[in-house]
Amino acid sequence: MPSLPLWLSNTRSLIGFTLLIFIVGAALLAPVLAPHDPNEQDLINMLLPPFWVEGSDAAFPLGTDSLGRDILSRLLYGARVAMTVAIFATLGATLLGAFLAHLAGYFGGWVDWLIGRIIDVWLSFPPVVLSLILMVGLGAGLWNVILAIVLVDWTRFCRVLRSEVMVVRRRDYVSAARLLGFSHVRTITREILPATLPLLITLMALEMGIAVVVEAILSFAGMSVGNEVPAWGQMIADARQDVYNAPSTLILPSFAVFVTVFAFNILGDGLRRSLDTRLTQTERA
Amino acid sequence: MFATIMKMLLRRLLVAIPTLLVVAALLFVVLRLLPVDPAAMSLPPNATNDEVAAMREAMGLNRPLPVQFLIWLGQLLSGDFGMSIAFRRPVWDLVSEALPATIELAFLSMIVATVVGVAGGLLAFYFRDRTAEAAIDFSSIVVLSLPEFLWALMLMLIFGVWLQWLPFMLRLDPQFERPVITGFLLLDTLLAGRPDAFMSALRHMILPVMALGISASPAIMRVLRSSLLDTYQEDYIHQARLRGLDERRVLLRHGLKNAFLPTLSLMGVQFGFLFGGTLLVEVIFSYPGLGNLMIDAIRNVDLPVIQIVGLAYCIMVLVISTVVDMLYLVLNPKLRVR
Amino acid sequence: MSLLSVNGVSVAFANALGTFTVLDKLTFELQPGKVLGLVGESGAGKSMIGRTIAQLLPNRFHVTEGDLRFDGRDMLKTGAAEQRALLGRDIAFIPQEPLAALDPVLTIGQQIREHLDHIGRGAGRRPERDWRKVAIEALDAVHLHDPAGVLDKYPHQLSGGMCQRILIAMAFLSQPKLLIADEPTTALDVSVQARIVGLIGDMQRRHGTAVIFITHDLRLAREICDDVLVLYAGKQVEFGPASEVFERPGHPYTRALQLAIPPAAGEHRGLFTLPDRMPGLMSLKQMGGCRFAPRCPLAEARCHEVPPPDVTVGPGHRALCHKPEATPGIAPPPALEHRHRDPDAQLLFRARDVSRHYITRARLFRKPDTFPAVRSASLDLAEGEFLGIVGESGSGKSTLARLLVGLEGTSGGTMELLGRDVSGMDRGTAAFRRENVQMVFQDPQSALNPRRRVGEIVTQAMEVMNGSRADRATRAAELLQEIGLSPEMAQRYPSQMSGGQKQRVNIARALCTVPRLLIADEIVSGLDVSVQAQLLELLLHLRRERAMSIILISHDLSVVRYLCDRVLVMYRGEVVEQGEVDAVFANPQADYTRKLLAAMPGEGAPAAEKFAAEEAFA
Repeated sequence: MPSLPLWLSNTRSLIGFTLLIFIVGAALLAPVLAPHDPNEQDLINMLLPPFWVEGSDAAFPLGTDSLGRDILSRLLYGARVAMTVAIFATLGATLLGAFLAHLAGYFGGWVDWLIGRIIDVWLSFPPVVLSLILMVGLGAGLWNVILAIVLVDWTRFCRVLRSEVMVVRRRDYVSAARLLGFSHVRTITREILPATLPLLITLMALEMGIAVVVEAILSFAGMSVGNEVPAWGQMIADARQDVYNAPSTLILPSFAVFVTVFAFNILGDGLRRSLDTRLTQTERA
Repeated sequence: MFATIMKMLLRRLLVAIPTLLVVAALLFVVLRLLPVDPAAMSLPPNATNDEVAAMREAMGLNRPLPVQFLIWLGQLLSGDFGMSIAFRRPVWDLVSEALPATIELAFLSMIVATVVGVAGGLLAFYFRDRTAEAAIDFSSIVVLSLPEFLWALMLMLIFGVWLQWLPFMLRLDPQFERPVITGFLLLDTLLAGRPDAFMSALRHMILPVMALGISASPAIMRVLRSSLLDTYQEDYIHQARLRGLDERRVLLRHGLKNAFLPTLSLMGVQFGFLFGGTLLVEVIFSYPGLGNLMIDAIRNVDLPVIQIVGLAYCIMVLVISTVVDMLYLVLNPKLRVR
Repeated sequence: MSLLSVNGVSVAFANALGTFTVLDKLTFELQPGKVLGLVGESGAGKSMIGRTIAQLLPNRFHVTEGDLRFDGRDMLKTGAAEQRALLGRDIAFIPQEPLAALDPVLTIGQQIREHLDHIGRGAGRRPERDWRKVAIEALDAVHLHDPAGVLDKYPHQLSGGMCQRILIAMAFLSQPKLLIADEPTTALDVSVQARIVGLIGDMQRRHGTAVIFITHDLRLAREICDDVLVLYAGKQVEFGPASEVFERPGHPYTRALQLAIPPAAGEHRGLFTLPDRMPGLMSLKQMGGCRFAPRCPLAEARCHEVPPPDVTVGPGHRALCHKPEATPGIAPPPALEHRHRDPDAQLLFRARDVSRHYITRARLFRKPDTFPAVRSASLDLAEGEFLGIVGESGSGKSTLARLLVGLEGTSGGTMELLGRDVSGMDRGTAAFRRENVQMVFQDPQSALNPRRRVGEIVTQAMEVMNGSRADRATRAAELLQEIGLSPEMAQRYPSQMSGGQKQRVNIARALCTVPRLLIADEIVSGLDVSVQAQLLELLLHLRRERAMSIILISHDLSVVRYLCDRVLVMYRGEVVEQGEVDAVFANPQADYTRKLLAAMPGEGAPAAEKFAAEEAFA
C-alpha cells in the first residue's frame, strides 16, 4: 500500500493538495473571513470594481455585483456549497459505483449483464441533461443537488472500475485465495479491493472536480441550491448581464470554479502517477 | 465487411429500442415526482376547480402511473408529441426547428475536438521524456479544468466583448433572412446560393464550436498519448524499426493506427458528454438549439417539451455512439474478421 | 574476411545511480554463411548484442568502447539513415514472439508490401500484380499453405508458427548477409519449434546467410550452430566451435548449465544445481574477480579477487577462467531411483470420463455452440505418486488441472478423492477437497498478490481459520525454511524477489495446509535452467519429506521424464496415452506421443537430417 509520503512526494499531488487546503479553509472560515453578509444588498454600492481598478472601495475588496452584494463574501460562501457538494456527492457516487462495479466484475454472468445494461441506459443521457431533469423532479436544495450528482455519476466509477476488477479477477492469486477457503466477500475485500483502490482514489479526486462543475452548471441554470444561498454558478449567471461594464463580476467566480477544479484535477493526475503501478512502470522503462 | 457492419447495426437497433423505452419510462417517472399539476398548467389561470378536474380526467391523470405512461407512449408512437404548455405550439414543431442547430453545433465541435486532441496527443508523444512534454501535459490539465460553459464565457468576453472580432449572439447577422430548406443553416445558406449568409453563419458558430471543441480535446489528447506509449512497448513497433523503417513511418503507419483504437472508444463516450455541453453553450450564445429550448422548458415547467427534448438528446447520443462503434469495427480487424 | 567482427565492445546503461556495464568487452567474429549461437540465462545480455549490432539500443543504453564492423563497415560510425538502409536489407531479424511482431491492424500482404518497398523490390517500379507474385513465392518457400490467401489475412487469424514462417519469409526477401534470430522458437509449441528451426537452417543454407542464433536452449544451440558464445552477466565466458564447447567445455558455467538440464533420452542422471543466481547489474561493480566465482563449484581464493584471463583451451576455443583444465571434474549427481507403481499404495485420486465444455456462443432458442476443452479424461493416482501431464498449448492440460482442483465445475464425469465423491461444487466437497488438494499456479507474477508480504502469502490459508499473528509468523518461518528461503524473506513483497524465489513462495502457500496432492501447473516454464534445476530438486525434497503426490503439468518432456513416475499425454482435450514414464518414452504407442518425442532436441542427434525429415513430415 502506498504510504502518505509517497503520494505527496509527487509535485502535482502537492500542488493540488495545497490549493485544496486553502479552498477548504476558506469555506470553513467563511463566516469569519467574509467582510459582509453574502446576501446583503447595498444599492448605493452597485457594481463596484475590485481593488486593482480605480474607483474601488476598500470595504468591498473584490467589488460588488449588480445588487451591491460583496463579491468576496459571496465567493467565500460559495466555496462552502462547492466543497460540500464535491465531498458528499463523490462519496455517494463512489460507494454506489464501486459496490456495483465489484459485484459486476467479480461475479460476471447475469449480474454483470444487468449492471452493464443499466450503465448503457445511463450513458445514453448526456450527464448534464440527466442531472437537470433530475433536479426538475427533485426540486432545488443542497441535498437534492448531491443526490442528483450521485444518481448521475456513479456510472463513471462503475464503468472504469468494472473493467479493472475484471483484470484483477483473472489474476491467479484470486483463484488461489478461493482455493485456500476464502469466501467471496473476503476475496473481494482482501484480494481485489486493495488492487482497485489506487484507481478508486484517483477517480474520486477527479470526480470531486466534476461535482464542482456540475453544481456550477446547475446553479448557472438556476436549478441548484436556490437563490438565497450564494453559489459560484449563480454568481456567473447573474454577472452575464454586466459583461460590458463589470467583467470582473464574471471573471472572479469563473476563476474560483477553475482553481478548484484544477486543484482536484492536478491532485488526481499526481495520484494516478504515483499510485498506478502500470503507468509508473512504463514511465520508468 | 459490409455484412458485419449491417449485422452490428441491426444488433444496435435491437438494443436501442429497449434502451429508449427505459429512458422514456425514467423521464416519465422522474417528472411525475414534480409537485405541479399539468392539468392546471394547461388551462388558463382563471379556470374553475371543476374545469381542472375535467382536464385531469381528459389527460388521464387519475389513472395509475403505468397506464398514464402507456397512454403517453401510444401517443408518441402515433406521432402525437403533445403541445407545449408555455409556447402553445406542438412540441414536434419546436424540436424539429431546434434539433438541426444543435446537430450542426455538436458535429463541428467534434471535428475541432478530434483535430486538436489528436494533434496535441501526437505532439505530447513526440516530445516524450522531454521538458516540452511536461508543459503540454500541464496545459492539458489547465484546459481540462475549465468546463465548457466557462470556456464559452471567456471566449465571448475576449473575442466578442473586448476584441470584438466575432459575433456571439444568435446564428446570423440581422440583415440576412434565414433560408429554410433542410433545417441545417450552414447547408441551407449554401443551397440558397448565399455565400455571404453562409460566412455570417459560420462566424457566429466559431465561438461556441471552439468552446465545446477545446474543452473536449484534452481527454482525447491524453488517451491518445498514453495509448501511443503503450503501443510503442509492442514488439511490432520494434520489429518495424529492425526492418529499417524510419520513425515517421513507424509512427504514422504502425503506431497511430493501433493507438487510435482505444482513443476512438473513448471518443464515443466523450462525444456523449459533448451533447450535454451544448446545452449551456447554447444558452450563453443565445443559440437557438435544443439546449435553449430545454432551459426555457425547465423554467416554465413545460413537461411535454422536457420529456421530448430529453428523448432527443438520448437518440443523438445513441446515434453518435453507434457511429463511433461502426468506425471502430471498420478500423479494428480483430472485430471484423475472425 | 569475416562478415561481422566484434572487438572489445562494451555497452553501458546510465541512470541517476551511475553507469552500469551491460556487455563487457565482447570479442568474436562471424564468417559469412556460418551460424553463431549466443547462449546464456536471461539477464546475461544476449538480446542486447542484437540491438547493438542494429544500433537500436533502448533509451539510456550506449556503446562505451570497442570496434564493431559489419561487412567492412564501421557500424558505430554509420549515420542513422545509412543504418536504416542496412536494416531489413543486409541485416534481418527474426523475433521471439511472432504473433506480437506483426502489426495487428494491417494484413500480411500490406506488411510484406511495405517491406518490399523498403528494400527496393516494391511496387514503386512494379505493378500491383508483381509484388503479389514476389510475396507468394516467398511464402511458398517457407512452406505455407495457400500463400495467396494468407496475404489477405490479419495476424490474429494465423497461428504463432504461421506468423513465424511469414517473418522468416520477410527476413529472407532481401537475401540478407546476416540474420539475427532472437529466441525464435521459445514462444512456440514443441512440435512447431523443430520445424521452424529446420526452416531457418534450410533457408540459411540456401541463401548462404550468416546467422546469430540467440537461445537459452543449449541442446538447440548444439544442434544447429557452428560456433557458440556463452554469456554470463554481460561477460563472454566461453567462445568456440559448437562441438568443442559442448564436448569439452572450458568454463565451469557451461559445464554446469549442461548438467542442469534433464536428459531427454538415454541414461537417467541427476541434475547439477548451481546455487543462488546470476548477479544483477548493480552488484557487478563490487565484484573484483570472476563474476561466476560466487556460484562456481571449483572457485578458490584467487577467483574472487583476480579477474580471470581469456585462456585458449583448444583450436579457436577460448574460456574466461583461471583453471579451465579443472572444468571436466564437475560431475553430475547420481541418477534418481525411478519408482514403479507400488501395488499396495492406497488410491488417492480417481477421475473417470471427466469433461469440460465451454460455451463459445450463446444462442437464443437453440443449444449453444460449445468447445470441448477436456474430453472424457480418466486417471488414477496413488498415494505418493508423481504423475506428469504433457501436451501442447490448447491441449486442455491446464483446464484439466483446474477441474481436478475444483476451480471449475465439470461438464460430466466423476471424481473421487480418498474414496469420497468430489464431483460436485458444494461447500462440503469444496472444504474436503481444499484440505487435501492444493494447486501451484504457473505464473508467480500473477499468482502472488503484490500487495501482501511473503509471510502473509504463505500462511494465507490460516487467515480463514483465524490463526493468530504469532502462529502465522511461526508457520511462515517453518514453510520458508522448508522451501529453502531464509525466514527474513517473510517481510518482503513479491516484487523484491527473483523469479525462482517467487515460485518457491508460490509452492509454500500451497503447502501450508499440508495437502496430500499438489497440482503444479507449468511451474518451471519460463525459468532459466539453473533455477529450473533448483525447483525440481525442491519438489524431490518435498516428496521425500512429506510423502505427497504431485501432478506436474508441463510441456517439457525431459522435465516430466526426470521427475515423474507416470506420464499422461494430452492432445486436443483428449488423453491419448498414459503409462510408466520409461515405457512411454522408450516405446510410445500414440502417434502424437511419437511426434512429440521426435520433435525434442536430442543430446547430440545430427541436426541437418532431422530437420529435413521434419520438413517432409510437415
